[in-house]
Amino acid sequence: MSGGAWWRIGWRNLERHPKRTVITALGLGVGYFAVVFLVGWMEGIAAEMVENATGLVSGQVEIHHADYRPERSLYDTIGGRDGIDVEATVAEVLADPAVIAAAPRVYGGGLLSSGESTSAGMLMGIDPDLETRLSRFLDELVEGRLPQVGQNEVVIGAELARQLESGVGDELVVMAPGADGSLGNDLFRIAGIYRTGLTELDAAFSVFALEDLQILLTLDPGRIHEVSVSTADPWIAQETADRLAVALTGGGMAPEVVPWTELRPEMVEYVSLIDSFYFIIFAVVFLVAMFGVANTMLMATFERRREFAVMLALGTTPSRIVLAVLYEAVGMAVISLLVGAAVTFPLMIWFHNAPPDMGWLYGELTLMGALMRPSLRVEYNFVIWTQAAFALLATAVLAAVYPAVRAARVPPADTLSGS
Amino acid sequence: MFRTPTILTAAAVALGLVAPQTDLTPKEIIERVDRVMRGDSSHGVSQMNIVTEHWERELVMEMWSMGTDYSLIRVRSPAREAGTATLMADKDIWNYLPKVDRTIKIPASMMSGAWMGSHFTNDDLVKESQLIEDFDVELTFDGERDGVTVWEFRLTPKPEVAVVWGHIDYRVRQSDYMPLWARYFDEDEELARTMRFSEFKDLGGRTVPTVMDVIPADKPNERTRVIYESIEFDIDLDRSFFSLQTLQRRR
Repeated sequence: MSGGAWWRIGWRNLERHPKRTVITALGLGVGYFAVVFLVGWMEGIAAEMVENATGLVSGQVEIHHADYRPERSLYDTIGGRDGIDVEATVAEVLADPAVIAAAPRVYGGGLLSSGESTSAGMLMGIDPDLETRLSRFLDELVEGRLPQVGQNEVVIGAELARQLESGVGDELVVMAPGADGSLGNDLFRIAGIYRTGLTELDAAFSVFALEDLQILLTLDPGRIHEVSVSTADPWIAQETADRLAVALTGGGMAPEVVPWTELRPEMVEYVSLIDSFYFIIFAVVFLVAMFGVANTMLMATFERRREFAVMLALGTTPSRIVLAVLYEAVGMAVISLLVGAAVTFPLMIWFHNAPPDMGWLYGELTLMGALMRPSLRVEYNFVIWTQAAFALLATAVLAAVYPAVRAARVPPADTLSGS
Repeated sequence: MFRTPTILTAAAVALGLVAPQTDLTPKEIIERVDRVMRGDSSHGVSQMNIVTEHWERELVMEMWSMGTDYSLIRVRSPAREAGTATLMADKDIWNYLPKVDRTIKIPASMMSGAWMGSHFTNDDLVKESQLIEDFDVELTFDGERDGVTVWEFRLTPKPEVAVVWGHIDYRVRQSDYMPLWARYFDEDEELARTMRFSEFKDLGGRTVPTVMDVIPADKPNERTRVIYESIEFDIDLDRSFFSLQTLQRRR
């Protein structure tokens, strides 16, 4: 007999008990769905975390003076004391194909005071147009608008506003040591209030027009501390940073270009920790499925004892019997895969494009210092899909090995004589 | 041979065998040093010269103090900052900013911030006056150093006191109770900064160090120097002088 015939025998056995076949196939198919969906969801959480952490304020790549980190000294502006042509540098960064936004920033530390209350905070100078294209924290102000250049305006976080008991339109005294050693101080009017939900952030950063903050800190117009860069995908940050470093070096400027993966190593570690869970999910899901399949196959072969005995009595080699049962298992796996795919992919497409919001259940939560809006967002991962398909196939075949061997060892004479 | 007894004495003192050759306890000596430099009240003018890696500047300041709890410092020059003033009353610090005509209370979290860009912290203005209250004083050396007979003390913060220093080493000249230097160590027992006193002169009727340098240990090329131009002690000052009204008085 040819191999085709053994396939047919396997297939007919599946047809003989359509209910049993469908239930077993559903078991395996749901296993496939569980693996693909769980992995997709975990990747969704990781992607959400990374996007929130890098998209909220910091960007995916940061450009600094080589000495700026970790002390973040006021004096370490890009290009040193002479500064740079800010506009040209931003344009050069934007010229990189992977870069979707770039914004210059000035930082300082100082005191903000209103009436009796005073708070220490980070002062951040931004270009409102460029900044809103890059970071998200200023996109939707709770109240008011972004600071305008030359108007001595400031946007503060909701938590700082609470601490200072101030609102839009109120005056703040801002006091900050300047780059020439003098004590910079001036009055600023609160133009707007932002809220990220991260209390530390909402208490820490006060946002000024870049030029206004440079005047307060006695920095020349060409002196900025950072160009923050946003890339199309967080995972191309490293290669983009490398390219930008090459492009920007020269002309007296040797900036440090760092991707978020270097700034937030704990987050990269967390993502790879999630990755290592995939194996555990695979193992648990398919191990459970394997026992289910083995059970069904054992029953299916046991009730066909006589059939196998006849085949053996007619001279079929035991290895052929094993093969027939395994072919049956492969057939089962193929049906399972079809069932699984039919269940999985419509849901994956739905949950990827329009993830159901779970905020009603959990509210907002923070993970690794990133603000998360819990949702059932899933990520596509073709490698996992393929791996899961092979794992399913292997599960079905491995589960059938023992029943197949049992079937091949049926003693023909005893079985046929009915004992 | 006068040295031998001194060395022996020093050794004995180090071993804790005899008390130093004065009837004052270490704590009383520190207290006396402190009082010489402060008086019950004082009023003076000094120059502050600040050198950092990035800039150098000079301030002229007028200062008033009363006891250990009250002091007022007003900047006279440079013109851009003239009128800027700091009031320390009890343990609070306020800054007056003439440019915006506002007063800011310095929050507790900023007490370790630099005062006017110098190597003094806001805390120095407050805590410096409480050495005796906050520290245990122990004599660690009594004898000759570089040809001068001195005491050296180690000031360790009392357990219940929250201070940034692990300990402070203090050297005092025995002949006239003049401080020579103080070395501030952080909580890891590493030298954080050194304060040096020099140019001992008669000013305001008593001998005082008229020059004081602060040198941060991690930036040996930086320093803040305070030079007293004039000082008078035990003047007629009232507690009500150290008020926000006085702080905001532009002169």
